[in-house]
Order: sequence, then structure tokens, then C-alpha cells
Amino acid sequence: MREIIFQQAINEALHEEMARDETVLLWGEDIYQDIWGTHAGLFDKFGPERLRDTAISETAIVGAAVGAALCGYRPIADIMFSDFLVIAADETLNHAARWRFENGGEAMVPMVIKTAIGGYGHNGPCHSQCTEGFVWHAPGLKIAIPSTPYDAKGLLKTAIRDNNPVVYFFHKLLLGAKGEVPEEEYTIPLGVADIKREGKDVTVVATSLMVKMALDVASQLQEKEISIEVVDPRTLEPLDIDTIVASVKKTKRVVIVDEDVLRCGVTGEIGMQIMENAFDFLDAPIQRVAAANMPIAGAFMEQYVLPQPQDIADAIGAVLGLKERLSVTIEPPKLAL
Amino acid sequence: MKLTKEQQVKLYTNMVRVRKLDELMVQSLYGGKVVSFFHSQQGQEAIGVGVCTFLRQDDYLFYTHRGHGLCEVISKGLPAKAFIAEHYGKATGSCKGIAGFHTSDLKRGIFGLGGTVGGEFTLGAGAGVAAKQRGKGQVVAFFFGDGATGRGTFHTALLMSAYWKLPVIWLCSNNTMAQWVPTKVTCPKENLADFAFGYGIPPTVVDGQNVVAVYEAVQAAVDRARAGEGPSFIEFKTCRFRAHLEGFPDISQWGLRSEEEVEVWKERDPIELFKKRLLEQGVLTEADIERIDREAMEEVEEADRFATESPVPDPAILEKALYAD
Repeated sequence: MREIIFQQAINEALHEEMARDETVLLWGEDIYQDIWGTHAGLFDKFGPERLRDTAISETAIVGAAVGAALCGYRPIADIMFSDFLVIAADETLNHAARWRFENGGEAMVPMVIKTAIGGYGHNGPCHSQCTEGFVWHAPGLKIAIPSTPYDAKGLLKTAIRDNNPVVYFFHKLLLGAKGEVPEEEYTIPLGVADIKREGKDVTVVATSLMVKMALDVASQLQEKEISIEVVDPRTLEPLDIDTIVASVKKTKRVVIVDEDVLRCGVTGEIGMQIMENAFDFLDAPIQRVAAANMPIAGAFMEQYVLPQPQDIADAIGAVLGLKERLSVTIEPPKLAL
Repeated sequence: MKLTKEQQVKLYTNMVRVRKLDELMVQSLYGGKVVSFFHSQQGQEAIGVGVCTFLRQDDYLFYTHRGHGLCEVISKGLPAKAFIAEHYGKATGSCKGIAGFHTSDLKRGIFGLGGTVGGEFTLGAGAGVAAKQRGKGQVVAFFFGDGATGRGTFHTALLMSAYWKLPVIWLCSNNTMAQWVPTKVTCPKENLADFAFGYGIPPTVVDGQNVVAVYEAVQAAVDRARAGEGPSFIEFKTCRFRAHLEGFPDISQWGLRSEEEVEVWKERDPIELFKKRLLEQGVLTEADIERIDREAMEEVEEADRFATESPVPDPAILEKALYAD
């Protein structure tokens, strides 16, 4: 199968869906260039009515998307950094998420908020965050958080076609990641996890860039004859808890890795759902790896806040009850665009 | 465009209907039938009625907490029984009893309410994009109060409507009170329409008690929007006759709202003003007035009975309401 990079996978999904359905619109700040390079060729093909530059106002970008969605269009609101999504918190958490429900469940809000997450680029506290935790907190939104080019394309196509607001998080550091993507049309349903690596000793549930980090750790631990299963939920809402639980029942040990803040974060929610569904199968307390409960520091200090490969190895060692440290030598992720 | 006799009677009738409905809501709140709360719209009827009575069914409407959009949604065709039943928490309410105070009617372009004052401005701009994109001459009638102009959403949405030349009519009912605080203490402008100058949107200031003036100003803005010439801003000078929120006095550090001031405005009750004019012009007779009153009362009483007798919703609807298939 051909291989393309994550960035191109997003671009292909946008091209295909905009060609397929003329109600798909895209707007945001500098929609032509898009600093993440995912919009190549779109403006030239679809023109200024369907791709619109807005003023710098996340409030307007997301709010207008909710309005257009209520009126039968499928807007994609482009939010350059997911850190900026808090500027549009009212529009996202109060209106996009709740409009259908609180107005009787007849209206539909078919829109996508497409936004970049993640650190390791030394971009400081307001350009590095993962914000899936606070988005997940709001009932009414769906969340796609792909980790491979294949998932990136298939999930974005489904998100655009979904009749609900979907927040689509892509990690900046994954944009250059290569992977197999078929030439022919495909979509991936929301709410179906993917086992990225099969194993029998420990389940590692990981999202986005953390899937790659977990896979790197798993490869090294294989040399120590530790067999890791890596489960990627791919979407948080709906969450495929069944696949996660089935894996936990098999391995009896679980580590959850997510780049958002530890406190009230994704790892806590998934961990508690495992407790509710598979407590009797666990041979060790659940371990979590996430960003420290502090803002993301810049420059050389960033690494002390964000999850590192060794943190995952340590958590695996803990659920296995090992006395000796499982040392791994994996370079921390780097921004290379 | 000159109003025909029938159109004038329709405006008058709608004003009487919404006044009776508002009076019933107040009564039902104190009588314990309204589950949540009520923000009376009495005194501001000419605005919602003058704007919405002759809109197209496929025009989009965004209303506010004032009257819970009563004057606007009823004039756009929502049945009174759906309005009352929602407030009584019943399954026959326009939001199936899930909202408790919003009204929503998609086929009439009524989407409901977000619940944060000023939270819908940018949605109005987005509806404008949809209307423009569709190219069928639809407009967005976007209502808000003087208080909501404090939100950043107001400014960013006006700006967006201007740079994209959207068919949105920004309709500001300036009743001079932002909740319990006089707007003048938080706003440097006497005319809120002045804000529109900054965005290159043509502003108009209109007597909000005069339903014909309201209609004429809106008609000009609607024509402009349908012709693809972009947004307009109309400020209506008005007064709410009752408190911001039933049960709470209009009091703040600036004192109690002056009763004398309200009395002066009551001299300009929009229904009485229009009634006098229609009688003088011979459009209506005293007998017509009496009949319109009686029919409006019957409509409200029938709707009240319907809502009272309707069942409360089955909680199973909640799960289905959250996500669309």
C-alpha cells in the first residue's frame, strides 16, 4: 500500500469531503496557508465562498460554525492551536455541545472543530496544550483524536459527515508521521478502538502522539521479553470501553497514557471506567502517565512537565511489580516540520 | 412599503395576542404552573411583532430571554400552546419539555436559545453565512438587548457580518436596563446604534413603541439584506413595564428603577398607541377591538388548558436528544 504523511492524510480528507458535499465549508485564521500545511490546494479548488478567512476571533470562528450548522451546512471551524479553544469556550461547550439537547433534540449541529494539540515543541504554555480533557467534560460533543495517517483521514471524513459537533484533535508532532493509507475511499466509524500492537503482559491505553511513544517503549521492552498491548481508543466520545476492557481482562494490568493534564484528565476517566468494568480482573493498581499538574514550561523545562518515554516504562514496571527499573533509551519527541 | 388595512389589523392583533399571553405567563408563574421563571416582555410588543409578523417562514430568528422570545416567536407563527406547554414543563412544549423555557421550531427558522446573554451573536452571523450561501434571499432577524452589547461576541459578530456582507439585521431593543443595572452606567453611548458606525453597518434609531415605525425600518433593512447589500442595525427605544425577572425588584447600587419613569413610558403603551391610531383612521371599530381582545383571550385560555392537561415528558427522550443519528 502507498505511504503518505499525516498532514497529507488530513488534506486528502478535506479535499474529498468538500468535493463530495457542497455544504462543507471551512473557515478560520489564514485558511489559505494554514500553518499546519493541511489546506494545500483547497482554496484554488473550492474558492472564497467555501473557504473563508475570518478576523482573529475564535469566538466568531466557532460561533458562526454553530449558526451555519443549525441552518443546514457542515462547517469546519479551524482553530490553529487547541489552547485557543478556551477563547471559544461558550460557543464550544455551551452552544455547539448543548444546542440540540436543550432545544428539544430536533436540531442538528453537524460541524467539526479542527485543532492542533500537543507539546514537545518548546512553544510555551499557550501553544502546547492538549485540551481533550475539558472538551470531553461537556456532554454533546464527540471527540476524534487520531494517531496515524490512516486514522487521521478516515476519522476526519467520518467527523465531517457526522450530524453532531465533533472536535478533531491532531498532534503537531504527528504531521510528518508516515503511514499506509489506501488510495481508495474509506471511513472509520467513531467509537471503535484500534489495537495498535498486540501483547499479553500489560495493556497500555494511549492517545494521539502517546500511541507512538507507547509503541516505541513496547518495542524496547520486547527485548526484555515483556509483551505490551497498545490500545488506541481513536475517539474519546464515543469511547470504545469494550475493547479496552477486553484487553485489560486479557493482560490483567493497565497503564493509561495521555498528554493532557493528569488532574481531572482523560487518564482518570478511562481508569475509572476500567475500575467499573474490570476491577476483578486487575492484578495491580492502574497506573497513569500524563502531563504534570502545572502549566507547560518552555525551553529545557518542558520535559519535566510532559510525559516522557521513561515515565511509560516506569509505569509498566510498576504494574508488573518489578523491583528493578525498566530503563529505555528513546529520544523524546521533537517538532520537525 | 405602505401597510395595507389587513396588515395593520394583523399587527394590532398580534400585539394583543402576545400581551394576553405575557399576562397569562406572569399569572401562571405566581400560580405555580410555570416551572422555571419568567422575564415579562410587556411594553416591548411593537418590536417583536413589527419585525416578525411579515418575515418569511424560512427567515431565521434569534430571540432573547426577554419574554423568552414571546413577541417574536408568536409573530413568526409558533402556536401559543407550544410556548405555554414548554413553560409548564410538558411533553407538548416546543422543546418537548427539555428546555423549560426556550421555544424552538425549525420549520419556522426558530432555533431556540443558548442561555448565556449575548452568546448567540456569532451564531447569528453563522446563520447569515448559511442564508447567503443558499442564495434564496433569506435573512436573519437577530434580537438582543442593550445589556448584551457589553459582550465581546456582539462586536466580533457585527464585524463578521460586515466583512462578509451577511444578510443579518441586528435588532437592539434598548430598554435602558441591563438586568437590574441602568445601561447608562456601563455604556458611554446614548444611542447603541452608534456602535454600528465602527463596523460600517448603517444604523437606524426607531421609536420602539410605534409598531408602524418598527415595521417600516425593518422592511428597509430586510429589502437591503435580501438584495445582498449586507447587514443593518436598528435600535429600538423602548421600556419594559415589569421587572427584569418576575419576583425580583429592579434594584442595584444605583437605586430602585424609578416608577415615575415607567409611568411616563406606560403613557406610550404600544398597543394603546396603535389602537388609537386605527380607531381614528377608521381601520378598526370599537366592536372590532372588543372582538380581537376576546379572541386573543380565548386563544390564550385554550392554550393554557391544553398545556395544563398535557403530560410531563418521558425521561427516555433525554438520551435521544443528546446526539443526532
